[in-house]
Amino acid sequence: MHKPTNYELWFVAVAALFLLFILPGLNAFTAPGSVLHVSDFTINLYGKYLCYGIVAISVDLLWGYTGLLSLGQCLFFALGGYMMGMYLMRMIGDLGQYHQPIPDFLVFLGWSKLPAFWQPFSSFKFATMMAILLPAVVALGFGFLAFRSRIKGVYFSILTQALTYAGCLLFFRNDMLMGGNNGFTDFKFIAGHDLRLPATQRELYICSVLLLLATYGLCKWLTNSKFGKVQCAIRDSENRVLFSGYATAHFKLFVFVLAAIIAGLAGALYVPQVGIINPSEMATDKSLEAIVWVSVGGRGTLIGPVIGAFAVNAMKSWATRAYPDLWLMFLGLTFILVTLFMPKGIVGLPAQIGALRRRFQQPKTDASEVANSKRVEEQIKPNLK
Amino acid sequence: MPPSKKFILTLEEVNKSFEGFRAISNLTFYMDEGELRVIIGPNGAGKSSMMDLITGRTKPDSGKIEFGFDTDLTKLNEAQITRLGIGRKFQTPSVYIEHTVFENIWLSLEGSRSVWTTLFSRVTKERRDRIYDVLKIVSLEGKADWKAGALSHGQKQWLEIGMLLALNPKLLLVDEPAAGMTDEETHKTGELLLSLEGKHSIVVIEHDMTFVRQIARKVTVLHQGSVLCEGTVDEVQNSEKVMEVYLGRKKKH
Amino acid sequence: MLIVSCLTCLGAEPGLRPFYNRMKSLRKYLAILTWCAAAGLALAADSGGPDSPAIRKELVQVILGIDGDRQTLLNDLSETGSKLVGDTLLAWTRGSIYLYPSPDGTKQPVLLEDAQDATGKARAIRLSDGEFLKDAAGKELRFGDNDLIAADTDMRLRSAIRQTVDTLALASPDKDARFSAVTKLGNSQKSMYVPILQARLTKETDSTVKRAILEGIASLQIGDRDPQVQIAAVGHLAALHSIGNLETLQKLAASPKTDPQLIKAANAAVGSIQSHIWWVNFFGTIFRGISLGSILLVVALGLAITFGLMGVINMAHGEMIAIGAYTSYVVQNLFGTGFAFAINLPFSFMGKQLGFSLSLPGLNATGWFYQSYFLFVLPLSFLAAALAGLVLERAVIQFLYRRPLESLLATWGVSLVMQQLFRMVFGANNVQVNSPTWLLGHCTLNDVSFGYNRLFVIGFAIMIVLGTWLLLAKTPLGLLIRAVMQNRSMASCMGVRTTRVNMLTFAFGSGLAGLAGAFLSQIGNVGPSLGQSYIVDSFMTVVVGGVGSIIGTVYSALGIGTADQVLQQLLGSPVLGKIIVLTCIILFLQWKPGGLFAIRGRSLD
Repeated sequence: MHKPTNYELWFVAVAALFLLFILPGLNAFTAPGSVLHVSDFTINLYGKYLCYGIVAISVDLLWGYTGLLSLGQCLFFALGGYMMGMYLMRMIGDLGQYHQPIPDFLVFLGWSKLPAFWQPFSSFKFATMMAILLPAVVALGFGFLAFRSRIKGVYFSILTQALTYAGCLLFFRNDMLMGGNNGFTDFKFIAGHDLRLPATQRELYICSVLLLLATYGLCKWLTNSKFGKVQCAIRDSENRVLFSGYATAHFKLFVFVLAAIIAGLAGALYVPQVGIINPSEMATDKSLEAIVWVSVGGRGTLIGPVIGAFAVNAMKSWATRAYPDLWLMFLGLTFILVTLFMPKGIVGLPAQIGALRRRFQQPKTDASEVANSKRVEEQIKPNLK
Repeated sequence: MPPSKKFILTLEEVNKSFEGFRAISNLTFYMDEGELRVIIGPNGAGKSSMMDLITGRTKPDSGKIEFGFDTDLTKLNEAQITRLGIGRKFQTPSVYIEHTVFENIWLSLEGSRSVWTTLFSRVTKERRDRIYDVLKIVSLEGKADWKAGALSHGQKQWLEIGMLLALNPKLLLVDEPAAGMTDEETHKTGELLLSLEGKHSIVVIEHDMTFVRQIARKVTVLHQGSVLCEGTVDEVQNSEKVMEVYLGRKKKH
Repeated sequence: MLIVSCLTCLGAEPGLRPFYNRMKSLRKYLAILTWCAAAGLALAADSGGPDSPAIRKELVQVILGIDGDRQTLLNDLSETGSKLVGDTLLAWTRGSIYLYPSPDGTKQPVLLEDAQDATGKARAIRLSDGEFLKDAAGKELRFGDNDLIAADTDMRLRSAIRQTVDTLALASPDKDARFSAVTKLGNSQKSMYVPILQARLTKETDSTVKRAILEGIASLQIGDRDPQVQIAAVGHLAALHSIGNLETLQKLAASPKTDPQLIKAANAAVGSIQSHIWWVNFFGTIFRGISLGSILLVVALGLAITFGLMGVINMAHGEMIAIGAYTSYVVQNLFGTGFAFAINLPFSFMGKQLGFSLSLPGLNATGWFYQSYFLFVLPLSFLAAALAGLVLERAVIQFLYRRPLESLLATWGVSLVMQQLFRMVFGANNVQVNSPTWLLGHCTLNDVSFGYNRLFVIGFAIMIVLGTWLLLAKTPLGLLIRAVMQNRSMASCMGVRTTRVNMLTFAFGSGLAGLAGAFLSQIGNVGPSLGQSYIVDSFMTVVVGGVGSIIGTVYSALGIGTADQVLQQLLGSPVLGKIIVLTCIILFLQWKPGGLFAIRGRSLD
């Protein structure tokens, strides 16, 4: 567990350098025809992946570190996105199709004045605050109820799925005044910058890198603290933690709310980059997709989820173009195979291959004895729980 | 038997049934401070259920469970009861297998357990010494960096006892500490428990009569959810009631 | 000529087939029709019952206008309920009844046959006995249109005849025909029918028709000039809970011309009827709730077994439902014109495009045999889904028994793959499964309508629950299943072949999902994501019922199903209803975290 940390730090440093300076630099300072040029499209695409990476870390914080498989992360992601979306809708001003000072869909629904709860969203600060606050409050309320009644394991997953489903249904309704099933789109400006300009998109991309790095740093610190140890202890044997005197519900609630905030922020950054937010972002499938990223990358680590998010989405970008009909099948099969054969994901792959090679090369050495005894331990483990 | 002096643990007229099955019926049980008490009884006598009731895992249907002078345990949850100073070791060893031995003890160390303190808590020199003291008591100081999952069964049992000690509880509830141990390990466990006598109040549930004989001062026999008799090992073993329900069938232990 | 034969034909084959079909085939079957026309009248002589010659006699009398008052005769005829009367009278008003001056000086009413010979002449059918007219030598006589004089009618007579024809059906031996005739008269707003209906009331035996007559009389009497009669009628309508007259009553109450007392009565009646409607809706909602609950129950029962007993979270359970639904689609097509599909993969190998195709010939069954297809669907959908479940268990789930969270993830992968397969085989759009006719109708009890398909689902759900319970509680296999589910390794140590039991249990749970799919195909559309819409609900059902408890699943399925429908009705929005149900479930779990019937264990976790 300690050895790969060094690799991890190097990897993170190099990746940060590349993402933060080299990519945007190549985009900004090379000519479009040049070999080294990174297109605006690529920057935008990577910005999207980075947001996914942030969500993936939040999923992993819950699942990999605390053992809470939440199917509700996409809800918090979308809530954050919607809050930012409301601000972006306000910034369209009267440039919409109807040339009214209120968003087009409200005109369409027969409103002539801005509804009261829309008023404060003209402020960027307020919208950002809401992108943090709303997911946090929802997570706090739901988490409080769920953890108080000690709902855990798959029941927690099922309940979060239901929560997400309920949220999704709610946002599909037109009388929520949140754009119904079309959601928000056609954004024009953010904080005085024109969203359609490559420079604005590059800045958003850089914000995404910074948020990802900040999230990584925060989670790194968190998981290395005693709190992190309690977190993992809850994952491995929650009852024992209770009998060590820790109110596990508080710890789980803290992590759940934190993860919701992270996801909400990621959503708030995601929306101006993709230019649309609608209720389909809340479908449970999106949460499960985020879980695939974590699973593919390697859960219980902090770089795994990000690697997974990049890998799966790069594959998705390729496959949806090359084999549009088969893409879902690829995703499904990947998931089955990873779950069955790569429980530790890409990050765990070197160790897995190493163990395999050792087993074939030296079948009768102490190393294999140790491996065997470890396997026995792992078989006993589930019985203890 | 009205309480004439201060007991560390008081159970009076406690009842608990699971889907019609009366696991505990009219159980009344007192324990002195600093006492080492052994509870024996056939399977299904309610030993583990009694532990569950004391530690808040289950709530009694009726009756009084008090800790110290007048702390009502029936209103508290597991974590709160643990923080009061009641530590419990489970029948099957339950340690944090993905954590190192050192971290296992660290997590169990007495002190504040709120979210905020754990966020900013660091291992100070003082704490490290305390952890190594505990590890020394349970003979695991050489394995501080091992993952707990890699320990042998007996070592895990000891680690769990160590975790209890780190908690520095007033009352230790120890469920079958000798299960699955070699004779030598069992003996060592007995000595460990004896050395704790006086400093902590200890309740031990055990089947192994050699072990019971080694550590017991006073033995309580449970049968069908209530106390059958209490006394020294010899008294208990010679009691006709006990022979009938329990030792009669397991004379050779 | 044509009209007579057409009428006879219509009567002879009471209409199931749409009208335009008949028109299309008219020309083709003209010969047969003509025969029918002749035979229809001729046969009536034999089959019309003992009074048939009397009816004929009266008809002749009415047409000739001798021996008595035409009105009285018509009234008499209207009591007969005979089809012959209706057909003849209608023909008369159209001038198709001719008068043949017979050699003895009397006139005989006749009908001319449709089929004309080369000279435009046709045979004549005598009304008095339904025989062809013959001359003394026994040769059939033939006439052209202008050879005979048509029997005359005037306007008053025509109106009397029309009234007779209208009321004729009141005496029909078929109670449905009587019912619709009564309804028609009741809605006619012609007060002249009141005495006719009243007369009929004394003779009517069927309670439904009786009720309809009372309702009809009252609704006609609302139009009466006397306010007292109107008030009485309004009172009757209120007592009868006549939903059909609600609007009339509301208009009456709102009209400024209405007598104040009548307004009061009308308002009372409106209130009474509206509260009746509320109850009808209420019971209707409860019924729909129970039937939705039954579907949920069958879906959730499979889940209660795979999830509750085995601890496997099967996210592909919804796709098992879809398998069942698509099975009924395939079976239906096999009974019809056959089933074929082709998949083209976007890969090629050695220059050839890869893909699959399959084509199965259909049985081209019709009639009752085609309608019975659903009976084959039930076992087949169970088997198809069970087989899929078996494969899934062997291929994926058996490796994940100890990792429930991961079984959730892997089976979600399976669900994605299966959805895509459905899209490739059956197309991305919904396919249509036709219900067999015997599931289409409904029966009405006190204005609450009970669809047969929903009744069928409820009945079948009861059978499935009983069957499952018997299997688990009373059979050796059930004992093994329960043993393995409680402690897999212990059962294995005791010599139970756990792999096999796991396999069978999982297949059984999946099979139940397939059955649920077969039902769903009868109620809604079948599409690739059919299962997805039920998966959240059914997981909820199992959690609320208490994981591992069959009886808990039954209660929670019915409870959630009914709550869903009731809230939908109350809020007028399915979405809000669903959200409230979900919220209630989350709050419910605060109170009973283990569900309705929690199974309490004494183990550590």
